[in-house]
Amino acid sequence: MSLNRIKIESLARVEGHGGITVNFKDGKLSKVTVDIYEGPRLLETIAVGRIPSEVVSLTCRICAICTISHRYASLRAMEKALEIEIPPKVHLMRELMHCGEMIESNALHVFLLALPDYLGYPSAVHMVPDHAEDVQAGLRVKKFGVKLMELTSARPIHGENPVIGGFGKYPSKAELLRFKYEAESLIPDAERGVEILRNLRQPTYMEEGMTFMCIKPEHDRYGWVGDRILVSTGEEFNAWDYRKLTNERVVPHSMAKRSRFQDKPYFVGALARFNLLGERLDGAAGEHFRRCYNLSWIRNPMYNNVAQAIEIVWALEEVPRIVDKLVAYEEDPEIVAPSRDRGAGSAAVEAPRGTLYHHYEIADGKVIHADIVTPTAQFLDMMEEHIRVAAENLVKEGDTEGVELKLEMIARAYDPCISCSTHLVKVRGLDK
Amino acid sequence: MAEIPKPKVGFYGFTGCGGDLLTILHCEDELLDIFNAVDIRSFLMASSDVHDDEELDIAFVEGSITTDHQLESLKGIRKRSKVLVAIGSCACFGGPQAARLGYGDWEERFKKVYGEVKHTVARPRESYPLDEYVKVDCCIPGCPIDKHQFFFALTRLAKGMPVELTTFPVCAECKWNENECLLLKGELCLGPVTAGGCNSRCPNHGLPCIGCWGPTKEANVASEISLLKERNFSSEEIINKLRLFGGAAMVRRFADLLGIKTEEPAGKPRQKKARKPVAAGKAKKKTASKSPKAKSGRKR
Repeated sequence: MSLNRIKIESLARVEGHGGITVNFKDGKLSKVTVDIYEGPRLLETIAVGRIPSEVVSLTCRICAICTISHRYASLRAMEKALEIEIPPKVHLMRELMHCGEMIESNALHVFLLALPDYLGYPSAVHMVPDHAEDVQAGLRVKKFGVKLMELTSARPIHGENPVIGGFGKYPSKAELLRFKYEAESLIPDAERGVEILRNLRQPTYMEEGMTFMCIKPEHDRYGWVGDRILVSTGEEFNAWDYRKLTNERVVPHSMAKRSRFQDKPYFVGALARFNLLGERLDGAAGEHFRRCYNLSWIRNPMYNNVAQAIEIVWALEEVPRIVDKLVAYEEDPEIVAPSRDRGAGSAAVEAPRGTLYHHYEIADGKVIHADIVTPTAQFLDMMEEHIRVAAENLVKEGDTEGVELKLEMIARAYDPCISCSTHLVKVRGLDK
Repeated sequence: MAEIPKPKVGFYGFTGCGGDLLTILHCEDELLDIFNAVDIRSFLMASSDVHDDEELDIAFVEGSITTDHQLESLKGIRKRSKVLVAIGSCACFGGPQAARLGYGDWEERFKKVYGEVKHTVARPRESYPLDEYVKVDCCIPGCPIDKHQFFFALTRLAKGMPVELTTFPVCAECKWNENECLLLKGELCLGPVTAGGCNSRCPNHGLPCIGCWGPTKEANVASEISLLKERNFSSEEIINKLRLFGGAAMVRRFADLLGIKTEEPAGKPRQKKARKPVAAGKAKKKTASKSPKAKSGRKR
């Protein structure tokens, strides 16, 4: 069979609009592109000239699935710029809302978007007649994540409760405790996801060594927030030096910019976090990690699905720990006012699909420069590389039946968020 | 008894954050019921089982139009759908990406972001809401939409009934919730002019309304502006707030109040059928063919 081109027009079960093109020349693979045709929004230019709080409301709208991570990163960056020290209770509430998003986003991806591929269905709804229990378990876990985001941020998507310097309102102790007990009760559902994925054979035709990156938490436990970035080459960077890590550029086939580290593509996301910090996982999540981990995890992006499933377990175990600390505070802190109206700040948080950077510069109380680098923009080059290796191997072995689905599965394993990748923010530096 | 065929429904997304379609996916308790009650022919975010050439009873469309390709797809969806519903602030008003609509600086801003690279995948254009190009039968506003309004609209439309959403502003809900008035406390709250339906979530949390549902039908923007000016907010602050989520609605309805000189924006899409320019929406009188954006009849 001779092939000229494999073209997947629209990736299904991902957020946003992208496709894959694989070109062949004289029977040999010549070029692979992950095409991003999401429409541009130029939100970056809308941010400039606005007050910080408006920009926080604006940048979280880059993406609905990562809205909490965007908000968290922008709040941290703004607070650094405006020299705001936030009280411990605010920290804990932010950790809690972050857990909500990780549970929601990972459960949506693992159970509803990725699992149908492995089991041979076009969607989770089509799985219901044969796998009702699995789908229901996934929906229960996801629903809990959504409710936790609503509790902490005031709405499941784009909640405005987390503001610069604190929160508008805090949930009551009774509400917090209810969430604690519910989190504990959902661990078996989350573990069900881990078990299903662990027992599935992962395809290997795309395997290729990767560079990984993730945030190094400030404490010695597993976590998603900090000011240092770990790289699998053994190097460590300050988060505010993120430009040295991401080195963005514009390419014609994509409305999203692209990143490379030391001229190589790299991976961010749950798989990167587990490869670099997996030993820190405690509790049931730690046990699952040690049982599932193998050497393919450094070469095979499909294990990102497994890592996300285990991360749900960790987040569900983390919620009770955070709630126990939160209920010990009797008073709700006031929103902390900025101590100055100018400054610059960069911050990183781990979004479900990888490291997210926000950077702002503020003068006279107005944002004059904003720069956002999203996880999907960072890993698109790595995704292209894995798809290229897979296409090459599948064609070499003459295994081209259903090749589109096989390539699409690789793209989906990355859990891309195309809205995010496209609407990243950058103004200065391009005014050449 | 003969079985009544389920209405055929499609869900589509253009430029935006995906939050309105995600709101539908977030209806865990009702999700399977929705998929059972109607015949979903396309929902790319959730399913790879897509039939995109069929006639539809209802199309739900999220996002604004920012590329030529999207415009073609939108026209295609319109042609094969009996009812087209715009969901979310981007589809209804153009979204935050339309916050500078009318300033005519789109091309310059595009170059600032992408430089001189010529994109091969999409021909970009300035963000406009769906009703700039096609007839929209129903608008469900929100950033994101509220799932209860979506259920309400879906069940009404599935039975062929009209949909009437909230006509009161956030301010009314806020009073029912017995919140302390933030305007009286000197905060820049858009509650009086913003479409209700969110149950005044932000004021419930002691935070001012940011206007993310767009202007309500009978919004008295003039009075809101003078009220805020009395409280020492500058015109710039007020306009920035009103425009963040107001999109095309602000340009069409309140251009004079907001000092928007509706110059022909760069990269302005052309429309075949010219519409009547509306006095309030146009600072300068132009020939009808040159001002397809202005429209008087449509409130949302």
